[in-house]
Amino acid sequence: MKRIVEWLPALAVFVLVVGLWEGLVRALHVQQFLLPKPSTIVSVFWSDRHTLWPAGWYTFKEALGGFAIGSGLGILAATIVGRFRTLGTALMPIFIAANAVPIIAFAPIFGAWFNPISPRSKMAVAGVLCFLPVMVNTLRGLNSAKPRQIELMRSYAASELEIWRRVRVPTALPFLFTALKVASVLAMIGAIVGEYFGGSLNALGVLINNAADVFQFPLAWAGILVASLLGIALYGAVVAAERVVVRWAPDTRDA
Amino acid sequence: MLAHLRRAGIVALAVVVLVGLWELYHWIWATAGWTWPFAVNDTSMPHVWTIFKAFGQPAQVNQPSLINVLLHKTAFTAKEAAVGFAVGAVIGFVLAVVLVHSRLLQRGFLPYIVVSQTVPILAIAPMVVVWVNPKLPAPLQGWGAVAVIATYLTFFPVTINTLRGLQAADQRALELMRTYAASRWSVLWKLRVPSSLPYLFSALRLSATVSVVGAIIGELPTGLQNGLGGAIFNFNEYYSIEPQELWATDVIAAFLGIAFFVLVVMAEKALVRRAPENVA
Repeated sequence: MKRIVEWLPALAVFVLVVGLWEGLVRALHVQQFLLPKPSTIVSVFWSDRHTLWPAGWYTFKEALGGFAIGSGLGILAATIVGRFRTLGTALMPIFIAANAVPIIAFAPIFGAWFNPISPRSKMAVAGVLCFLPVMVNTLRGLNSAKPRQIELMRSYAASELEIWRRVRVPTALPFLFTALKVASVLAMIGAIVGEYFGGSLNALGVLINNAADVFQFPLAWAGILVASLLGIALYGAVVAAERVVVRWAPDTRDA
Repeated sequence: MLAHLRRAGIVALAVVVLVGLWELYHWIWATAGWTWPFAVNDTSMPHVWTIFKAFGQPAQVNQPSLINVLLHKTAFTAKEAAVGFAVGAVIGFVLAVVLVHSRLLQRGFLPYIVVSQTVPILAIAPMVVVWVNPKLPAPLQGWGAVAVIATYLTFFPVTINTLRGLQAADQRALELMRTYAASRWSVLWKLRVPSSLPYLFSALRLSATVSVVGAIIGELPTGLQNGLGGAIFNFNEYYSIEPQELWATDVIAAFLGIAFFVLVVMAEKALVRRAPENVA
């Protein structure tokens, strides 16, 4: 009951915004190609569901693959680099600089590497987008264990592996999940941007682009709605996993 | 001074190592004929020297050298990104200040601020341009719409992190100010804002990069030819013939992103004495 009350303001805002949007578009006679009515978008969303959802699923698989590969490699790299302190401090500026590179600019190159039509090129874009934040944040997390805790473990003659398992990994987990949440959003965006430079015809990004090109804006918006819903689903899955894994962390309800 | 030299040395060494790894990978995969994960040849991985030579040559006949063209395009994209960054940072900050004063507004709007980031902005960009462009005054035509897209990507990290920073003000200090009947305004400026600065800057570092991404993404579907996004789109068409031109453009784009990031870090060093490293 209390949770429903907490969500009431958000619900009110939703109803208000959608209502205003619908009302203004009707009242001001805004043209379809500028901004379709929410009711039109929802009806297209329903009537074209047999094209929209398979396309969404296709792109979602690309995003999911990229997310898994990129995050997995990020965690692996952070673990290796975190093991060797001097290597970590030497490489950190490089990773931070690499993190500031607009990876999107490299999307067409991944297309050229992995055949622009195949899902692999989109997985590569999504994967690289996910890799850097996960790697940098996990490394920060692994290195943020309190020296006193580590010294205490050492004084009990705990092995390095034991220290890693019982101190470093638990401290790193909140950092890791913060990065995974960022990565989950990036993965979907990466897949769709990758599709902008060519992709299979039944992919969501291609569908949205083609629809916008021929001024079928309600269909484009319905596609955007599908992309957002899938993005939210992936984000929600990470949040749920965090709740299960990181029980002790007091408040990690950040974005 | 010595520390600076050492750091510069490490960076230079790292660049040399990266170039070496690139060429080594190229050589091994090309001579062994391996095709996993992708076939290596002079098109898929042009030599580093080919890419750098491309800077000095004109991309098209009777044009100035590529580096000349690219620098102009970079200035254009940098303008879009900088304006988008500035506007997005201000909007993000104001939004956080408003939200910190009302639990009700936080509950009402925060979920949508998070959701707004899952919207694939590239897909919306053409429509944003159709809306925004006709309403812009002449000097802003074209690039103004792209700046709006950069703004959209920039405000989010700033809002979320500043809100966290404003809330992170010391509880005892808050109570003390209340016992002195301090106004909300002075609590905000004397306590909350200073305590939020480290959080704000860690968001600005992220936003600096994101604003460049937004500018490049915005240029792609808008068909704007004056910036790096347009150049990437064009050179992509000729990738199979002259891959080094796309690579050269991407190298410049990478430097632009890093430059924005470094500028924010320098501003942070000047303004905030000690920033916690761990605010993501």
